Amino acid sequence: MQSSKKIVVLGHFGVGKTSLIRRFVTDTFSDNYKVTIGVHITKKVVEISPDDTISLILWDLEGTDDIESIRNAYLLGTHGVVFVFDITRPSTFQHLNNDLKIVSSKIPNVPFLVVGNKTDLVAPSELKSVFDENNISVDFFTSAKTGDAVNDLFSKLANQLVSDA
Amino acid sequence: MYPKMDEKDRLEILKDILFADEHEFEQRVSQRIEILEQTINERKNLSEKVDPIIEHQINEFKESIPETLGPAITETLKKEIRINKDAVVDALYPILGKLVKKYVAQEMKLLSEKMNSQLSFLSFFKRKFKSGVTGQNENEIMLGDLATASIQQVLLIEKDSGILKASYSKSDAMDEEMVSGMLTAIKSFVEDAFNQRNQELESIEYELYEIHLQSFATHYIAVVISGNYMLSAKNKLQDIIFDFYHSFMAMNLDLVFETKNAKKSIVPVPKSRIERELAKYFGNAKL
Ligand SMILES: Nc1nc2c(ncn2[C@@H]2O[C@H](COP(=O)(O)OP(=O)(O)OP(=O)(O)O)[C@@H](O)[C@H]2O)c(=O)[nH]1
Ligand SMILES: [Mg+2]
Repeated sequence: MQSSKKIVVLGHFGVGKTSLIRRFVTDTFSDNYKVTIGVHITKKVVEISPDDTISLILWDLEGTDDIESIRNAYLLGTHGVVFVFDITRPSTFQHLNNDLKIVSSKIPNVPFLVVGNKTDLVAPSELKSVFDENNISVDFFTSAKTGDAVNDLFSKLANQLVSDA
Repeated sequence: MYPKMDEKDRLEILKDILFADEHEFEQRVSQRIEILEQTINERKNLSEKVDPIIEHQINEFKESIPETLGPAITETLKKEIRINKDAVVDALYPILGKLVKKYVAQEMKLLSEKMNSQLSFLSFFKRKFKSGVTGQNENEIMLGDLATASIQQVLLIEKDSGILKASYSKSDAMDEEMVSGMLTAIKSFVEDAFNQRNQELESIEYELYEIHLQSFATHYIAVVISGNYMLSAKNKLQDIIFDFYHSFMAMNLDLVFETKNAKKSIVPVPKSRIERELAKYFGNAKL
């Protein structure tokens, strides 16, 4: 049976939320930065096994520096969360653990992936000490530009959602 | 302080307000209807509307291609278009038709809303309207669509997540799962932004359609309506929705309760069953 799941993608301004979704859904990338206002919704059907698919309904939320201020109404009924930060801009991850705590208190008990994006600009290994110092653990390092690890990220999430149900 | 009016003065003023413009109004309405009829009945008029658009497109096209090649191509195109005007109109009609249709729909809505307040016009309007349309062509079908509201699509959506539970649809024009998400996002935004606890968004206008929303405890129903959606149609639609709710939805606990926290496990109704019921209640409904 085909099921549908609501995924919210959130994080600070300009970290690449929209770009990651665009890479995943249409396999394209643009250098043009178009700020997301409100929320943008797209869908992608992911094959879990030859006879099982899942529809991911992706809620691409507008970026915010204050995670607390995200509209609760957008988070209701969420089945999975992708939290994105920009590895080239410390301001997007310096309070990461606190941000994550806020999000998981608003959306408890759902699969939750932490993503460091823009690996085409800096190698994550160069930042290892920074992440270690701040006690940051990251599930995926991606590049929406090159497509690196983008599919892995979403298929991991899809698989977690299936085994959850 | 206003000068004192006696009863007679007041009646006069009231009469002025109510009747003075009636004749003029009637004429204006009749003129507008004629214009509308002409616009959509005569292809000639349509192609006149198309011409400036094509002209404009050609100019834009001209600017955007290299100068050497440009003039030659545009010249050929121009000639081609001049010779095969009908073919071009045909090609553009699906796009243009939509624009014209939207324009007409909007005009009709304005007109009929005005008329509703002046009942005597209603019969005049209907008569005029029927006699104006002759022959069988796509424009007539287009007008037929406009005259009465009709249900295009019904979506049963989970309120929180915006996940589509089941649907009934006359055409497969849009991705229902995505539309369900979008409607839910809009609904959440509006209800959240205006912070109205007990007020819910009731309808959304989208292109040619009006989308009527009815919330229940854990789910809501979105009905996509084309045509002239007025108060009487709205009342009928609400009756149908509540009938569907009482005779079907309310009997199925997973459609009316938060099942996650339920003590006993609740067996969900299969999607196919819900879709059969939706078709039964909404499929042949007349608004
Ligand atoms: N080099 C590089 N640039 C990226 C990458 N991902 C996104 N960008 C660029 O970063 C900018 C912002 O990307 P968006 O995807 O719009 O970011 P966002 O998180 O959706 O932004 P908001 O909607 O404003 O919160 C754009 O100019 C993108 O082209 C990446 O992996 N590598
Ligand atoms: Mg964005």
